[in-house]
Amino acid sequence: MTRTSVYTAIAALVMYCQFASGAENLEASKTVVEKFHANLLEVMTKADSLGFSGRVDALDPVLAETFDFHTIARIVTGKHWKTLDDDQRAEFIDVFEALSAATYASNFDGFSGEVFETLGAEEKRGNILVKTVIVREDDDPVTLDYVLRDNDGMWRIVNVIANGVSDLSLKRADYTAVIKSEGFNSLVTKLSGKITGYKISN
Amino acid sequence: MPHKKRITCLAALIVVLGLVSGCASTPNGDPGDPYEATNRKIYNFNDSIDRNFMQPVARGYVNVTPKPVRSGVTNFFDNVGYLNVIANDLLQGKATQFLSDTGRFLVNSTIGLGGMFDPAKEMGLRAHDEDLGQTFGVWGAGEGAYLNIPLAGPSSFRDAPGFVAATLLNPLTYLNPIVTLPLGVVNAVNIRANLLEATNIRDQAALDPYTFVREAYRQQREFRIYDGNPPGDGFDDYLEGEDDSAILRIY
Repeated sequence: MTRTSVYTAIAALVMYCQFASGAENLEASKTVVEKFHANLLEVMTKADSLGFSGRVDALDPVLAETFDFHTIARIVTGKHWKTLDDDQRAEFIDVFEALSAATYASNFDGFSGEVFETLGAEEKRGNILVKTVIVREDDDPVTLDYVLRDNDGMWRIVNVIANGVSDLSLKRADYTAVIKSEGFNSLVTKLSGKITGYKISN
Repeated sequence: MPHKKRITCLAALIVVLGLVSGCASTPNGDPGDPYEATNRKIYNFNDSIDRNFMQPVARGYVNVTPKPVRSGVTNFFDNVGYLNVIANDLLQGKATQFLSDTGRFLVNSTIGLGGMFDPAKEMGLRAHDEDLGQTFGVWGAGEGAYLNIPLAGPSSFRDAPGFVAATLLNPLTYLNPIVTLPLGVVNAVNIRANLLEATNIRDQAALDPYTFVREAYRQQREFRIYDGNPPGDGFDDYLEGEDDSAILRIY
C-alpha cells in the first residue's frame, strides 16, 4: 500500500467516524426531545387526575434530565451572570427550573387529540436543531424547534422556538431589563411571584 | 372617515410620533428602540383600552360565537385582504407563490363563498403571509426604530407604511362607510379574539410586558421576512461569547 493510499484510507476513516458520530448526535438529540414530548403527553392525558401540583411533580425530573438549566440561566441573565456569586447563581437556577415546571404544568393542562411529530434534526454551528410540530385537531399546528447543546457528552435542550419566537431570547430581553432597572433580587422575587401566580390560577 | 383622510391622518401620526419621540429618546436603552419612553406611554395607553374594552368584548364574542363561525369570519377578512399578499409576492419576486396566491384568492372568493371557506387549502394552495414591511425587509431594509402606534400596537419605521398599503389594497376600503364601519368593528374584535391565547401567555410569563412584546414582535417579523428560516435573532450586542451566539442564532 503506498503512503498516499494509506493517508487516503485514514482520511476516509476519520470522515466516516465524524459522519457516524454526527448521525449519532442527531439521533441522541431527537431521543431527548421525544422523551420530553412523551412525558408532556402523559401529563396532558392524566392532567385532571394529577392536578397542577401532580403535573409539576411529574415534569420536574424530566425537565432536569432533558434541559441544560445552567447554560439557560447563564444566557437569560446576559452580562449580569458574571456579577452573580455562586449562591445567587444556584438560587436563580432553582427558581428558574421551578418556574419552567410550573409553566409547562399550567399550559399543558389537558388533552384534546394533540400529536407531537418530530420532523427532523440538523447540526447548526456546533449545536443541534430538532424540528417538531404539535398537530392540533381544531387549531393551527404549532412548530416547536428545540436547540440542543453538548454538555459533557449529553445532549440537552437549551432553547425552544415556538412559531419562530425564541423562548431564550424573549426571557433574556425580559430578565435583563428587570435586572438593569430593579436589580437581581427583584428578578428572583418576580419569578417566584410568577410561580405563585400559576399555583393560584390552576 | 374616507380612506384618503384616514391614510393622511396615519401618515401624520407617524411623523408626529417620530418628532415627539425624538425628544423623549433614551440613549442608554435598547439601540433599536430609541423612542422607548414614548413607546411605553403608548403601550400603556393601548393596554388600558385593551384590558377595559377590547379584551372583555373579544371574550364575550368567543363565548357566544361557535368556532366554525369565527373561522369563517377570519377566513373572510384574510381573503379580502389577500390582494396585499399577492402584490407583495410580486414585489419580492416570488413568481410561483404569486401564481399560487392568485389562484388561492380566486378559488376562495368564488367556490369559498366570498372567502368564508378555504377550499384552496384542500387544493394545495396554502396561505402565505406577506406585507410591505416584509418586502422592505427582503429588499434589505433594516427594522428601523421600534414603534408603538396608538390603537394599533407594535410596529417599526420599516413596517408602519404597510398599514397604509394594506388599507389601499383592501377592497372594503372603497365601499360605503355604512358597510365598512360595522365590518371593521367585527374584524377588530375577531383579530383581538384570535390573539387571546398569545396575550394570555404574555400575561402569565412576562415580567416587563413592554419588553416581552417588543422582542416577540421583532422575532415574529424576522421569522416572517425570512419565511420561517431567519439567519439569527440579532442579539449579538448582548452575547457573552461565540458559544451563546451559536445557540441564539440557530437558524
